[in-house]
Amino acid sequence: MAKDLMFQDEIKEAVRDAYAGISAGAGETVARWLYSDEELAEVPPGAVAWALGVGNPVRYAMLQPGEVVLDVGSGGGIDSILAARRVGPKGSVIGLDLLEEMCERGRTHAKEAGVDGWTEFRRGEMEDVPFPDGSVDVVISNGVMNLSARKSRALAEIFRVLRPGGRISLADLTVEGELPPEIANDQSAWAG
Amino acid sequence: MAERVFAAKLQGAGFADVWVGGHRPSGIDEASHYPLFTEEVIELMRKTLPTDRHDHVATGVIVKARKPADASELGR
Repeated sequence: MAKDLMFQDEIKEAVRDAYAGISAGAGETVARWLYSDEELAEVPPGAVAWALGVGNPVRYAMLQPGEVVLDVGSGGGIDSILAARRVGPKGSVIGLDLLEEMCERGRTHAKEAGVDGWTEFRRGEMEDVPFPDGSVDVVISNGVMNLSARKSRALAEIFRVLRPGGRISLADLTVEGELPPEIANDQSAWAG
Repeated sequence: MAERVFAAKLQGAGFADVWVGGHRPSGIDEASHYPLFTEEVIELMRKTLPTDRHDHVATGVIVKARKPADASELGR
C-alpha cells in the first residue's frame, strides 16, 4: 500500500513539475487543429497561445445560458472562456487547476475576454474538488483526466459535485494496446 | 488509458448514458508541438514505436455522460 501511494505521489509531483516548468502552451498551430476560426476569435491571443488540450469539450457540452460550469484542469483558460461565452453572465464558470500560476493566467485571459465577472479560477486538485455536492450543472475538461494517478477518485469527485441530471464533456487521449515501457514509464510521457 | 477502460470507470463512478465520440488520431508530430513532451521522449517514440504507429500513437476522444437525475435511475 505504501509503495502504491508513493507511486501516486511521484506521478502527481512529475505532472506538477512538468506544468510548472513550461513557459508556453502548445500554441496556435495546435489550437487551430482543435478549435474553429470562430471559436478562436472568441478568446484572447494569450489563451490561444497557452492551449494545452487535446480536443474541444465545449463544442460537445451543449451549454445553456445560466448554467454553472466547472472546468477541471483549466490551464490558460481557453475552454473556460468559451464556456463563459455560452452560459453568459447569468451563469458562471469555475476553472480549477493544480497550479496557481495557471489560475493567474486564466484570470488574466478571462479579464481580457471580458468574462471575468462570471468566471473565476481556483487552485485545487481533481481528486479533491473544493466544491459542495451537487453544485455544478456541467463539468468539462481537456486532456486532464489522464494525468491523474487516481482516475477513479477524480471521476467520483466530478460525480459528487454534479447536480442530479448534470453532465460531463471530457476531451482526452486514449491508447489502445501497449506502449513500450520506456515510453509508458517516462515522466514526460505521463505529463504529456 | 484505453477507451473501454475510460468508459468503464465512468460507469463505475455512477454515470449514465456514457458516449465516446469525436475520435481523432494523434501522432508523434502532433505530440512534438506540446512543450510537456521533452525532445528526448519524442525521439524515444520515433525509435521505439513501429513506423506505422507514428501517425497514430493515441486517439483524441470526447466522452460525454450524465449523472442520473434520481436514485431510481441507478442500476438501470
